[in-house]
Amino acid sequence: MEGFDNFWAVYSNLVLSIGINALLAISIWFTLSCGLLAMANAAFMGIGAYTAALLTMKAGASFTVALLGGIGAPLAVALIIGMPTLRLSGVYLAMATLGFGEVVRILILNAERWTGGALGLNGIPQLTQWWHVLASLVAVLLVLWRLRRSRVGRAFEAIKEDDVAAALMGIGVMSHKLLAFALGAGIAGLAGALNAHLTFFIGPAEYGFERGIDILTMAVLGGTGGLAGPVVGALVITLLPEFLRSFRNYRLMINGVILVLIVLFLPKGIWDPSRVRQWLKRSRRGMPDNTAGVR
Amino acid sequence: MTKQSLFRMTLAILLAALCAAGTVAAADLKIGAAEALSGPAGQYGQSIRNGFQLAADEINAAGGVKGNKVVLQVEDEQGKKEEAIDVFKKLIFQDKVLMLFGPTLSNSAQAADPIAQSAKVVVFGTSNTAEGITSIGDHVFRNSVTEADVLPVTLSVAAKNAKIKKVAVLYGNDDVFTKSGYDAFKKALDDLKIGVTTTETFAKGDVDFKAQLTKIKASNPDAIVLSALIAEGAPIMVQARQLGINLPFIGGNGMNSVKIFDLAKDKSDNLWVGSPWALSSQSKENQRFVASYKQKYQADPDQFAAQAYDAMHIAAQAIGKIKLSGNLEADRKALRDAMATVSWTGATGAFKFRRAMGADGKPAGYDAQQTAIVSVTRGGKYEIKR
Repeated sequence: MEGFDNFWAVYSNLVLSIGINALLAISIWFTLSCGLLAMANAAFMGIGAYTAALLTMKAGASFTVALLGGIGAPLAVALIIGMPTLRLSGVYLAMATLGFGEVVRILILNAERWTGGALGLNGIPQLTQWWHVLASLVAVLLVLWRLRRSRVGRAFEAIKEDDVAAALMGIGVMSHKLLAFALGAGIAGLAGALNAHLTFFIGPAEYGFERGIDILTMAVLGGTGGLAGPVVGALVITLLPEFLRSFRNYRLMINGVILVLIVLFLPKGIWDPSRVRQWLKRSRRGMPDNTAGVR
Repeated sequence: MTKQSLFRMTLAILLAALCAAGTVAAADLKIGAAEALSGPAGQYGQSIRNGFQLAADEINAAGGVKGNKVVLQVEDEQGKKEEAIDVFKKLIFQDKVLMLFGPTLSNSAQAADPIAQSAKVVVFGTSNTAEGITSIGDHVFRNSVTEADVLPVTLSVAAKNAKIKKVAVLYGNDDVFTKSGYDAFKKALDDLKIGVTTTETFAKGDVDFKAQLTKIKASNPDAIVLSALIAEGAPIMVQARQLGINLPFIGGNGMNSVKIFDLAKDKSDNLWVGSPWALSSQSKENQRFVASYKQKYQADPDQFAAQAYDAMHIAAQAIGKIKLSGNLEADRKALRDAMATVSWTGATGAFKFRRAMGADGKPAGYDAQQTAIVSVTRGGKYEIKR
């Protein structure tokens, strides 16, 4: 048990970061699974983080209320900005949502009285426990797992494949897109709220373009085919730099090389059930084929 | 996948444990440092690491601290708050260091210093200048002089020498350094009763400042107070001179870099900056530091290296005052108590700690008590002014 205590003392933050990153990756995976390339998740994370932190620090609210606020605020914002922007598709949607992210960042910078501007919010109470992160992750995964097998989930799939055909089948394309966008925002906000109450400090620079790319990388690297993809992606992206710590100066270089190799050889992401099945089949069939060649 | 990653994790832990066991001898003083060796703040972190290493080598060459060798373990925190927390936890709980240096950026310190505070380990910042870092708790020390201490000195020396009655203010409002610099300037201007004609802002990455500078010119100040990083500050000076504004500039910490001579060339004159350290400072401690730094790294040291170098010597003084018991917890506590009483004259001049107040009004950590050196640029060189 002592061994575990020691492990937890050293790596608790890392383990919880994996959970939070997994939530973030799921949040963008969710919009991707509806065929939307929306890049506003970092901004939604920021809205969630600031809302939750302000609720506990300034309003003295309980952590539960703060978490709900952290989910609710980005969800509401997503509903409002989703209506006009979701009419766009492809890269145009990505551009519009990136622009929105920049607006949020600059808003946080200038709403100094509330957010502390560039200096950020300090001394946020550390309320996030391991089970908060675990419960959030499990709950989100369960809900999404059920959703995927429901009418709504099938509708998302249909919209992703072809939104014109989906509309002709009688699916409300716009409302489903809006739902995916808003739920994704809520999940990102939850991740932000948990992160803010884990690291004592939040600042506007954390929720910029770079974070957005990180989130997208986790989802795409993990694979967009199934729910396990973003979780695997978050695991790899968070742990890889830690495992490579002993390489010192070459750490980031090796990190980058590994990521490039993964993308080259597993273009559909690490979690790609069809490819794994294909490999299994080939190795099973491989044996007799080889012997045939020898003969 | 999970099985494999679990296996790899255990393997990594085993390896780390083996490495740790290999380096620790009974009389080694293990000191951890978390600095941004890569990422945007990498250049600061590397200077800091050089400063630590130079001082540690000097101490060990002179026989260590009471015969005990200083073993410095520097880890990269990339200038990110999560990384800083991870590295602090690793150094405190896994590598079991006696005390910690770092992290490089104030934001990371806001996130990581509470970890050290709750583990009751001394954390010593050499580059964190933001307000409120030392209010985190009584285990937080720093020898980086805050802008709130430097800027009033810079302003009053510049005002006296260049006869300044009213100034225009220009600052970057989207960056931690430049924004906190502006706050400190504003307070100092109020205290010194220097009038402000206009206050203008810009954002990181801007390249054209003519609009703000034209407004400033029209408001007719005696000088321009500039809280900017060098990347924006240098073009601001060049464009001001092009617009025929030949007023003195009074810069914050961000403008205190020799790069200004490369970037602004012949337009770099008449910039007033204050700093706890100057390359040209003639004290014998500084001369020795500069000479040995040049010999080891084939480059001029900067302020970050100088402060790290002094910090390591200050820490060695504190360790020299305590009797090591071998019980890590007791040693860490004794070190905290001893640290507060150290005074030292190093590359940055005479130094001692000053108690800072916490958010609740009770005494918390320790800030630096040090006099700033004010210099002005003339023909590609700094001239020290009083």
